[in-house]
Amino acid sequence: MNAKANKNQVTSIEPAYYQAITEAIRKEAVQILKDETVVGVVGYLPGRRKGTASPALVTTVEEAEKLIFSPACVNNLSVYLTKAKKGVLKQGKVGIVAKGCDMRALAGLMTESQLQREDLFIIGVVCPGVYGFGVERTGTLTEANIARKCRECTVHMPEGSDVAAGTHTELADLTPEEAEEMARIEAMPQAERWAFWKEHFSRCIRCMACRQVCPFCYCEQCLCDKNRPQAVESSPRPAGNMAWHLVRAMHLAGRCGGCAECERVCPMDIPLNLLNRRMAQELKELYDFEAGLTPVEKGPLNEYKENDDQSFIK
Amino acid sequence: MPQIITEQNLRSLIDLLVKEAKLVVGPKLSGSVVLYEPLTAGSDLTLDALPRRSSKELFFPICEDILSYKRENGAMKVADVDRSKFPETVLIGPPPCDAGSPAILDAVMSWDYKDEFYLERRRKSTIVGIACTKGDDACFCRAVGLAPDAEAGSDLFLTPLKDGSYSCKAVTEKGEALVAAHLNLFAEGAGAEPVPFVDQAVEKLDLVKIKKWLEEHFEDPLWEKIADICVGCGACAFICPACHCFDINDEGSTDDGVRRKHWDACGFSKFTNHASGHNPRDVQNKRYRNRIMHKFKYYDDKFGKTLCTGCGRCIRACPVGIDIADILAQINRG
Ligand code: SF4
Ligand code: SF4
Ligand code: SF4
Ligand code: SF4
Ligand code: SF4
Ligand code: SF4
Repeated sequence: MNAKANKNQVTSIEPAYYQAITEAIRKEAVQILKDETVVGVVGYLPGRRKGTASPALVTTVEEAEKLIFSPACVNNLSVYLTKAKKGVLKQGKVGIVAKGCDMRALAGLMTESQLQREDLFIIGVVCPGVYGFGVERTGTLTEANIARKCRECTVHMPEGSDVAAGTHTELADLTPEEAEEMARIEAMPQAERWAFWKEHFSRCIRCMACRQVCPFCYCEQCLCDKNRPQAVESSPRPAGNMAWHLVRAMHLAGRCGGCAECERVCPMDIPLNLLNRRMAQELKELYDFEAGLTPVEKGPLNEYKENDDQSFIK
Repeated sequence: MPQIITEQNLRSLIDLLVKEAKLVVGPKLSGSVVLYEPLTAGSDLTLDALPRRSSKELFFPICEDILSYKRENGAMKVADVDRSKFPETVLIGPPPCDAGSPAILDAVMSWDYKDEFYLERRRKSTIVGIACTKGDDACFCRAVGLAPDAEAGSDLFLTPLKDGSYSCKAVTEKGEALVAAHLNLFAEGAGAEPVPFVDQAVEKLDLVKIKKWLEEHFEDPLWEKIADICVGCGACAFICPACHCFDINDEGSTDDGVRRKHWDACGFSKFTNHASGHNPRDVQNKRYRNRIMHKFKYYDDKFGKTLCTGCGRCIRACPVGIDIADILAQINRG
């Protein structure tokens, strides 16, 4: 890919880079609010604690002037545009700050007819990466504090946004930790792999944070909340936990854009993105499909073709 | 004269208690997270991180069976859980923001309905709290009337000293009994200087003023502002030492199953969903408002206590960075 040849590789991304993006976001947000292109902008505001940020829905110029972008801007804001959050956004076009991985969710939501492109003004961020969990938040992004998903990011450029803030810069020499972990698990004998996941799922407390932050978990009635009759045991015990995680992985196959938000928010450190990536790999192998690259008419699991492989029907 | 226990003897104490067939629970590394787990030896104890979940689960487990049923020859047989089998338990190592939680929860658990599952476990447990010298920018125990050296809830309270040992204070008879039964592990003396506490970023909160504000602001734009970004998960409630809501589900089949009690959270959209389909807390701002109201008004109205120990867990864990200390500080400033 020629993007690779052109990219600017560095060993640290300094606060000045994020500051420049911040300025660009503020300028755009103020502009589109002033000229009433949008009724509000979904972006990030700084948190009380050093090195934190939180999502915000801003509707005034004064608030828009406080928007930021920093390595703490980890959230995928597209979750605020879906049915699950209906009512939050007033009628009308909205602006949204989106990193490359967030753009994939937006494209996927358009594919699923949850969003219309013309209802959005997308302020794309040319994103070098964000903080991982439990790292030092110094303002500078380095190999030591970058999120695991960002180590293997292929979408630093936010394709398809209305405007893009930032210049293409990436950290050099990032080891693909997650791919390595996937290979390690893949190489395990089945029993060991089962034990690996059982151990992780045993810690799950069913707080549903992973579901609530996922842009694609917008079902009005989640199967896992059904209790008459109960589909999945809702108590946090081994059987129900395993069932919940299978349901989650399956329901997101071919849809998940890989933002890794589910994994980031898990208070029990369960590596959910490994499952997401495994499912994505299946979709790639079976249908040569990658979710969220561009909006498409229908994802492969929503579509029937006469020549689909039916050998699994016995 | 305060008693002193060296770190090595503290670990030996755990070994001994395990030998005495007690359930000993303390912070322990489990995968990449520290949790309150059964300790099998003194060496399991990990005191350098606040466990990800609070110690409330010792008394109020994430999930527990409360009865089982089975249809036999056409008749339904119901079997209760034999609570007398709950083990004698020693909880070692909670900081004041965790050790203090039973002191808050006992009130609601022994109120109009006596929760015998919780109370039986409480009767059979001894809590060895440790003064907190770690702390980070999410902690605000001082602001809600606790402190890194608060003894509330502890039966025996340890204070870390600069030479690595601990000074011990028996707060209750249970604490005295624990020391008396293992006197050889403790030494008399004043001990070294205590390890200093970490400063906390949040200003002292005027809880009376906050409560008054809440009384007058059941409707307020603040709730919408927060709810705009709150995604309605259970993370904040589940890891909170003071939240105590639960759901009850019959799991299994109509002929053979178990009735289970497990954690629930007022942040969930289904939390108040009636069987009729009506949901009085139909939007997120009513749910988040309940979280704050319950902690800083309703619980105080009923039991004269604040339902928050300032542990900061919800601040660290909230997926969208909602910061309860910041919200309280805003209200406090008026
Ligand atoms: S995955 Fe890519 S676009 Fe997303 S936060 Fe990381 S570096 Fe940025
Ligand atoms: S966020 Fe983690 S603990 Fe919570 S339900 Fe999801 S996997 Fe379980
Ligand atoms: S499943 Fe996880 S990684 Fe995939 S879109 Fe949802 S939150 Fe993002
Ligand atoms: S409300 Fe938050 S800070 Fe207060 S006790 Fe619960 S988790 Fe800790
Ligand atoms: S704050 Fe909410 S979850 Fe916590 S105890 Fe109160 S109602 Fe229950
Ligand atoms: S953890 Fe945060 S997002 Fe989840 S319910 Fe609590 S305040 Fe809302």
